[in-house]
Amino acid sequence: MHSKPRNLRLPRRRFLTSTAATAIAAPYLLRLPRALAQEKPAEIIVRAWGGVWVEALKKGVSDPFTAMTGIEVRHDLTEDNEIRPKIWAAVDQGRMPPIHVNWDTTTNATKSALRGVTEDLGDLANLEGLLPLARPVGLEGWPLVNVYSYAYVLAYSQKAFPERAPESWNAMLDSAFRKRVAMYDDGIGLFAPAQIAGGGRFEDIPDNMEPCWKYFRALKANEPLLGEDPDFTNWFQNHEIDLACTIISNAREARQNGIAVSWTVPREGATLDTDALWIPKGLPENELYWAKQYVNFALSAEAQQVWCNALGLPPVRPGLEPPADLVGDIAYPASEADLDRFLRIPTPVLVEHESSWFEKVNEIMQG
Amino acid sequence: MKSCRADIGAGGGRADRPVGLRLLDLAERLRAGLFPARFSVWTPYLYLLPATLITGILAIGLVEMAETSLHVLNRATFRLDPAYTTANYTAVFAKPVYLHIMLKTGLAALLVTGFTLLLAFPYAYHLVRTPHHRLRRFLLIALFLPFLLGQVIRAYGWLIVLGKQGLLNAALELIGLGPVSLIYTYSGVVLGLVQYMLPFAVLLLAPALTAIPHEVELASHSLGATPWRTFRHIVLPLARPGLVAAGVVVFTLTVTDFAMPEIMGGGANDFIANAIYDAFFQLSDAGMGAALGIVLTVFASLIVAVAFLLVGVAALGHGAQQKPRVRP
Amino acid sequence: MRRGRGLERLIVATVAFDLLFLALPTLVIILASFTAGRIVAFPPEGFSLRWYQAILEKRAFVDAFARSAYVATVCTLISLPAGTLAALALARWRLRHALAWQLYLLLPFTIPLVVSGLGMMLLFGRMGLLGMLWPVGLALTVINLPFMIWGVAACVNRLDPDLENAAANLGAPPLHAFVTVTLPAVMPGIVTGGLLMFILAFNEFIVSLMLVDARTVTLPVLMYNSIRSTITPDLAALSVIYILVAAVTVWLLDRLVGLETFLRSR
Repeated sequence: MHSKPRNLRLPRRRFLTSTAATAIAAPYLLRLPRALAQEKPAEIIVRAWGGVWVEALKKGVSDPFTAMTGIEVRHDLTEDNEIRPKIWAAVDQGRMPPIHVNWDTTTNATKSALRGVTEDLGDLANLEGLLPLARPVGLEGWPLVNVYSYAYVLAYSQKAFPERAPESWNAMLDSAFRKRVAMYDDGIGLFAPAQIAGGGRFEDIPDNMEPCWKYFRALKANEPLLGEDPDFTNWFQNHEIDLACTIISNAREARQNGIAVSWTVPREGATLDTDALWIPKGLPENELYWAKQYVNFALSAEAQQVWCNALGLPPVRPGLEPPADLVGDIAYPASEADLDRFLRIPTPVLVEHESSWFEKVNEIMQG
Repeated sequence: MKSCRADIGAGGGRADRPVGLRLLDLAERLRAGLFPARFSVWTPYLYLLPATLITGILAIGLVEMAETSLHVLNRATFRLDPAYTTANYTAVFAKPVYLHIMLKTGLAALLVTGFTLLLAFPYAYHLVRTPHHRLRRFLLIALFLPFLLGQVIRAYGWLIVLGKQGLLNAALELIGLGPVSLIYTYSGVVLGLVQYMLPFAVLLLAPALTAIPHEVELASHSLGATPWRTFRHIVLPLARPGLVAAGVVVFTLTVTDFAMPEIMGGGANDFIANAIYDAFFQLSDAGMGAALGIVLTVFASLIVAVAFLLVGVAALGHGAQQKPRVRP
Repeated sequence: MRRGRGLERLIVATVAFDLLFLALPTLVIILASFTAGRIVAFPPEGFSLRWYQAILEKRAFVDAFARSAYVATVCTLISLPAGTLAALALARWRLRHALAWQLYLLLPFTIPLVVSGLGMMLLFGRMGLLGMLWPVGLALTVINLPFMIWGVAACVNRLDPDLENAAANLGAPPLHAFVTVTLPAVMPGIVTGGLLMFILAFNEFIVSLMLVDARTVTLPVLMYNSIRSTITPDLAALSVIYILVAAVTVWLLDRLVGLETFLRSR
C-alpha cells in the first residue's frame, strides 16, 4: 500500500473559492487532488463501544465534527468482534460496508488490514507529529492509525479494600469475593498478568501458556461475571462486584458517578494496549472522503484533548494536558518512557494467537 | 323469473353488473385460459406452491449451512479452507466444552418444560372451564399481552426485577429475607424462559382441554370419584395430546433459545444457540458454528419426530379435524 | 355433587401466581419508564415524561421503528396469500403424501431460529441480498409462515364444504366461488394470521440480528444493542411503546375475531 503523492496541489485561489465549508475546515483538509466540495453524505456511521466510550467520542470528535461540517454522525454499538465478519462479508460480496469508520482494537484492526479490507490513511494531514505509537506494526503504510493507549487495571471497590489496594492479581481468586469479581467475557487484558500470577514468565508467551490457563481455571472456580465495557461500570454502580480486570476508563466512569471505586497496577503488572481507527473498503468516493475527514479530525489536538481526557487515556498526540484527576496516577503513562513499565504483548503475536486464547478462555469459562 | 344462473358467471356484456363482478368475470376468463378446468386436479398443488417456495428458502439455507460446516478455519487468513472435511463435527463431540453446553441446555429445557407445564395446566383448565365470560376474557388478555411482546423486552423487564437493587430484592427486604442473586445465573435464565413459554403452553393445552366434554367429568363425579381421581384418571389422559404438543414445543423452543441466555445469562450460561452465534461472530469460525447448528437441528428434529409419532401431526392444528378418542 | 375445595384452591392459586408472573416484567418496565432519574432503578425516583420525549427526539429510534413497521408489512403481505392458500390446500383436499407436505411446511418450527437466521444470512449473502430491507421481511415470512397457516387452518377446518358445492351447483365458476364464498368464510382466520404475522415480525429479534447492519437496523435489534450498552430508562420508554402496540393488537384480535377462537379445539 502506498500513500497518495503529496505534490499534487491545487492552485491556492481555486482552492479558496471552493465551498464555504471547505474554507472553514481548511486546517483539517487532506491534501487530495480533488479536495473540492465532495458531496456530503446524510450521515457517517461510526462503530463505537457503549457507555462512557461513545459519550467521550461524541463529546470530543463526533459533535464538533457535525458542527463543523453539518454531517450527522451515527454511532453503531455492535460489538467489534461481531461487526468484523459483516464487514468482511460486505467487502467479499462487493457491497457497501455497514459502517464508515471502525473504532476498533489494534489487534482486530490489524487482522482486517492483513485481509486487505481497509483503506489506506497515509494522506491524512494530522498524521504528522504523532507519537511513534500511532504507527501500525508489521504493516506497510497506514491501513489503520492508533489513537491512544490504555491499561487493563485491577479495579476495586474501596469498601472491600478500605486501607490498601490489592497487591496481586491473585486477589481475584480469593473465595471471599466469590461471584463478585468480573472480567471481559473473552479474557482480554488478563492473559499477560495471569501468566505471571499463575507462576510463569512473560517471555514464555505464547509458547507456554499453561500458567495462564491455571490462573483462569482458578478464577473460574470463583464464578466471575463476564461482560463488556459498560457492564463493569454498571456492576460497580449497582454494587454487584468488588474486583474487576477492566480498562481504567470504565472504573473511572463509576468513580465520577460517585461510587467509591479505585484501581491499581498489581505487582505482576498490567497489560497496555492501543485502539485504532480504520475505514473499510467499498465506500463510495464522496463518503470515503468524509470518513477520512472524520478520522483526520479525531487525530487533531483539539479532538484528542477532549476525547482522550474524557476516557482518561493518554493520546497519541503529544504535548496535551492530562486530566486533573489522573496526574501522577500509576495507570496513566505520562511519557513515552512510562509506557515501558507495562506489559505489552507485540501486535503480531496477538494477531496470530489472540483468537485461540479467546477460545481457550471460552472453554474454561463455559465448561 | 330471472334465473340465478344467468347472473352468475354469465361473463361480460351486461352493463348493469357491478364493477366488482365484472372484474371477477375478467379474472375468470384469465384463469380459464391459463388454468383450464381439466387441470383442476392440480389445484391443491398450485395453492401449495407459494408456501413451498418460501419454505424452500429455508431448506436451501440449511444446505448452505451444511456445506459451510464441512470446512475448517484457516487461522492465518481467517477464511475457510476449501477442502472438505468432517473435522468440525469431530470437534463438536470431542471438545468437553461443547458437550457441557449441550448438557446444560438439555437440562434447562427439561426444567423449563416441567415448570411450564405445571404452571400452564391449571391456567388452561381454569380458562376453559370457568363459567364467567369476563374472567375468561381477562385471562386471555393477560396471556396474549406478554405473548405479543417478544423476548428482548421481557428479558429487559426481568433484568430490572432481578437486579441487585431490583424489585425482587426490595420486596424480600420488606419481609425480612436477605437479598438473592438471581440475575446473571442459570436459575434466572430458567425463570425467564418459563415466563416466556407459559403462553405457548397454555395456547396449546387449551384446545385439547376444550375437546374434553365437561359431561365426562360430571359423570365421573356423580359416580363418586373425588376431584383428584377425576383429574388423574379422566382429565389428564384425555389431555395427553395437548400435553405432548405443549411439552414438545416448549422443549424445542428452549433448547434452541438464544435471547434469554444471552441477555440474562451474564456470559457464563451459554446455550447451544449462543455457542453457535459466538462461533460465527466472536471466533469468526463459520465452519464450526455451522457444524454446531446442524447438530442442534438434527437433535431438535428428532425430538419433534418422536413426539409426532406419539400423537400425530394433527395435534399442531394442520390438516383435517380429528376427534379425540375417549377411552373408557 | 361434591366440589373438592383442595383441588379448586390449588388451581385458583396457580392461576393467580401465573397472572402475577406473566405481568411482572411488563408492569416493572412501565413503572421504570416514568422515572425522573438517569438510571433504571426500582423504585423509580420521581415521575417524569422526559424519557418519552428523549426517544422521540432520537432519530435512530424513530428510523428503526419505521424500518420495523416496513419489514412487518412486507412479511404480512407475503404471508397472507401464501399461508391462506396453503392452509386451504391442506384442509380441503385429500393429498397424497399429506403428511410429508405437513412436515415440510413445519420446517421453520423444527429448524432452530439461530440456524435459520445464519443459513439465510449465508444464502442471502451469496445472492447479494444483504444490506437491503425487503429481504429481511422475506426472511421473517419464512420463519413465521406456520403461524399464518395455523391461523387460517383453524378456520378452514370448520368450513362447511357444502357451501362451496352449493355455489358450484348454482353455476359459479371456481374463482367466483373462491372470492365470494371461500374467502369470506375463512376471513377470521386470515385476520388472525395476518395480525399474528405482523406483530411477530415487528418483534422479531434473532433472525433480524443476523441479517441487518447499522444501515438497516430494526428496532428490536437496536434495543438489544443498547441493552448491552448502558441500561438507561429510554429503553423502558421504548418498551412501553411496544407494550402499547401489543395491547392494540390484542384489542384488534378480540374485536375482529374474538380471543376465544384460540380456545377451540382444532
